[in-house]
Amino acid sequence: MEKLVKLQIDGTMVEAPAGMNLIDAAELAGIHIPNLCYLKGMKGIGACRLCLIEVEGLKAPVIACNTKVRDGMVIHTKNDKLNEVRKFVIDLILSMHPLDCMTCTKAGMCNLQKYAYDFELKESSFTRKKFGYPTDTANPFIKRDPDYCILCGRCVRVCKEQGTNVLEFMGRGIESKVVTAVDKPLQESGCTFCGSCVDVCPVNALLESDRLHKGREWEYEKLKSVCLLCGNGCDITVSTKEGSIQKINAGAEIGSAERYICAYGRFGFDCIEAETRLTAPLKRVNGELKETNWQDALGIVADKLKQAGREAGFISIAGIGNEDALTLRKLARDVVKTKNFDTTLSLYAGSDSLKNSQTADIDTADLIILVGLNPSQWKRILPALDAMVRRRVGRGAKLIVVNSEDTRLEEVATLSLKGDELTALKGIANALIGKGMKADKKLASAVKDAEITESTEKAASLIAGARSPVIFSSPALFNASANIALLKGKIISIGLESNARGVAIMGLTTDGKTYKEMIKDKMAVLYAVGEVPLTKRPDAGFLVVQNSHLTELAKQADVVLPSAIFLESAGTIIDYMGRVKYLPKAVEPQGEAKSHTDIFIALAKAMGSVIKRPTEAEVTRAAKVKTKLAFSPFDREQGLEVAPEELIESVNASVINGSRLLWLKETEKTVAL
Amino acid sequence: MSEEIRTEEKGKKLEDIRKESEEKACPVQKAVYFIDEFIAGPMCSKCYPCSLGTGEAKIRLIRISSHHKNVSKRDVQALKRIGLNMIEGSFCKKGRETGRFLIETLAASEDEFIRHISGFCLQKECISLVEYKIHPGQCVMCGKCLEACTHEAIIGEKRESYLTGYLPFEILQKKCTKCGECIKVCQIMAIKRLSTELPELIAK
Repeated sequence: MEKLVKLQIDGTMVEAPAGMNLIDAAELAGIHIPNLCYLKGMKGIGACRLCLIEVEGLKAPVIACNTKVRDGMVIHTKNDKLNEVRKFVIDLILSMHPLDCMTCTKAGMCNLQKYAYDFELKESSFTRKKFGYPTDTANPFIKRDPDYCILCGRCVRVCKEQGTNVLEFMGRGIESKVVTAVDKPLQESGCTFCGSCVDVCPVNALLESDRLHKGREWEYEKLKSVCLLCGNGCDITVSTKEGSIQKINAGAEIGSAERYICAYGRFGFDCIEAETRLTAPLKRVNGELKETNWQDALGIVADKLKQAGREAGFISIAGIGNEDALTLRKLARDVVKTKNFDTTLSLYAGSDSLKNSQTADIDTADLIILVGLNPSQWKRILPALDAMVRRRVGRGAKLIVVNSEDTRLEEVATLSLKGDELTALKGIANALIGKGMKADKKLASAVKDAEITESTEKAASLIAGARSPVIFSSPALFNASANIALLKGKIISIGLESNARGVAIMGLTTDGKTYKEMIKDKMAVLYAVGEVPLTKRPDAGFLVVQNSHLTELAKQADVVLPSAIFLESAGTIIDYMGRVKYLPKAVEPQGEAKSHTDIFIALAKAMGSVIKRPTEAEVTRAAKVKTKLAFSPFDREQGLEVAPEELIESVNASVINGSRLLWLKETEKTVAL
Repeated sequence: MSEEIRTEEKGKKLEDIRKESEEKACPVQKAVYFIDEFIAGPMCSKCYPCSLGTGEAKIRLIRISSHHKNVSKRDVQALKRIGLNMIEGSFCKKGRETGRFLIETLAASEDEFIRHISGFCLQKECISLVEYKIHPGQCVMCGKCLEACTHEAIIGEKRESYLTGYLPFEILQKKCTKCGECIKVCQIMAIKRLSTELPELIAK
């Protein structure tokens, strides 16, 4: 527990954790200190001067955003002098801001509007300044309208801190402008369209391109949810209106820079209404797929599965919920009575590497070690991890990258160890033991001959000197990396799909044939759940595809069952940190589509069995696994050589092809050429 | 308003600017010069009161010095407000110093500022508030000013020894840009710079 300090704010006694700044501390007491440039979580820069407050005993006012609480502090946030400065600043900003709140999309959410209201400023008393900058509407994601910009610099800072670094100020004083390098359009500037800048913009200068006529903030119903499109499983906030999704934001507090979501998570929801979206079951009649009803489709599948029995196989993606995984396992094992059920998880991870993965508080980690991982915002491989690592490094944490390949994160790393990861890990372990770390006999004897190079020695010193190091490893290198964690720190292995850890814990791992074997061997019935990374029909007797969109594989199936996407069904996942995250049903499924769980239950019923819907308690019980680390040899798990970028793209193919992300993919290709 | 505080001063230092501004006799011109040089040089553009305030101050000063058609005492009040808030709210010393300069200049010569609003620049430095005139009694009709004027603002006929009945030299105020080139070439100093006498002043 952090130490609490007592202070008085406007006559109210407040207890705040030591190290907190005064804006946040005042908020604890329900007192709002005006600010425009402050971003929760980031160091205050005091540019807007709105948060000036008076501290008793100090001669001049100080900025609250960059002043830490001290015991016994007495502060006053309001008096005539302070209010005059605030009013003056708002007055000045209003003189260069279009006053069209009646048609502005940001109305109701705009900080400038709020303060203008507070200070009763209908019009600026200063000279009206018009710049007439062109609006950047050259992309379908982010609209940039510099005429609305109040130069608070939040977007510039957030973009810089997360390492994307495409925005910068140009010009001076009132003629300043936020631009990309050489003022190019965003898509040519290296922008990844993550939209972090949109989340932090206090006014209408940066906005989702399609927001016009999609309603204002107060019209939305807001739901906290989780994005299931990749292994990061990021928190998101879904805004819906009249039963459809209007926008998705990062799941952080408003005005905070603490969360990152990528373009997939933010803009991929268009795919809900894509042309390829399935709204009714399909069956093959005379070589062609025809629409049918659920009863008919389930009847056909039930018959086929009954006939196949042990010869049936289920393959699924690992981006399904825990409930889906539990039900699918029951369906396969108890109803169809086959041992063959596996997920795409087996392409990149052994289930133990995820089950034994630990958890850590990343916000207090002062040393991050990446083993065999190459997160990249630009390639959208665990993009949020990339952004988070860069942010932590920016705030003072150290970073060690252990990777035989080139990684882009090296550019911010304190130390980069190239060459074979296993050799490096052994060397580090040996060096750590040399520094007096206690190791069990097996570990000590396994590394006693390992060579300690200059860089492994340095890595060991960094680990030894760190307060709480955290190791992120690829699943294939989990066992080897865990040996370091046995000496010091926490170890977390990260799968490529959102619920990789959940699927492993829920036990959706084969007792019979693996995913690869089921595709290769001729199965009597192959049942594919979700957007499995296949485009060619495997040599199966009968192919069932259960997915939200008509994929290339679905076109070759015998029966296609329409499923809901993650925004349309409730459930839970276990993210890479081991946290159970809840997903509410944000919108109703399109057409007759049903959630995976519902389909499995209905299918079991068609086969004459009953599967009970997994309860929350059942999932939480299953999720409680004790992780235990033990020495295992420094080996790389074999057979997990999948290209991360390809896998992520193919499990999200329908999301990309069915939304404006397609534009992004094509543009990125052209820019790369 | 970039994150790192730009400590290194670009170009001139604030004291230099202040010293140079002292060369101007007219307080309005002094302030215009100071603010112009501050924006172009040492201003770090980091905090609102200073970077937006000086921008506004510049606009107001230009209104006053050019006798903009809507100029009024409110412009002087706005300058005072900007100065006070820059002292109170600016992040760094440079901003506060600039605010203090504005306040001091206004305090020392408020009358001069008010006179400018009436359209009168005592020091004849605000070019919008001065007129160039040729003194008919002193002019020897040499025609040099006519040659020097690039704006065709001077009319008159050069005196030739064998001719009589000349058109006298005169400056057309509507065309005159007050560039001062004619003054430079007039060796007998027959061209004068005069404060404009506007009707409201004459009425007093």
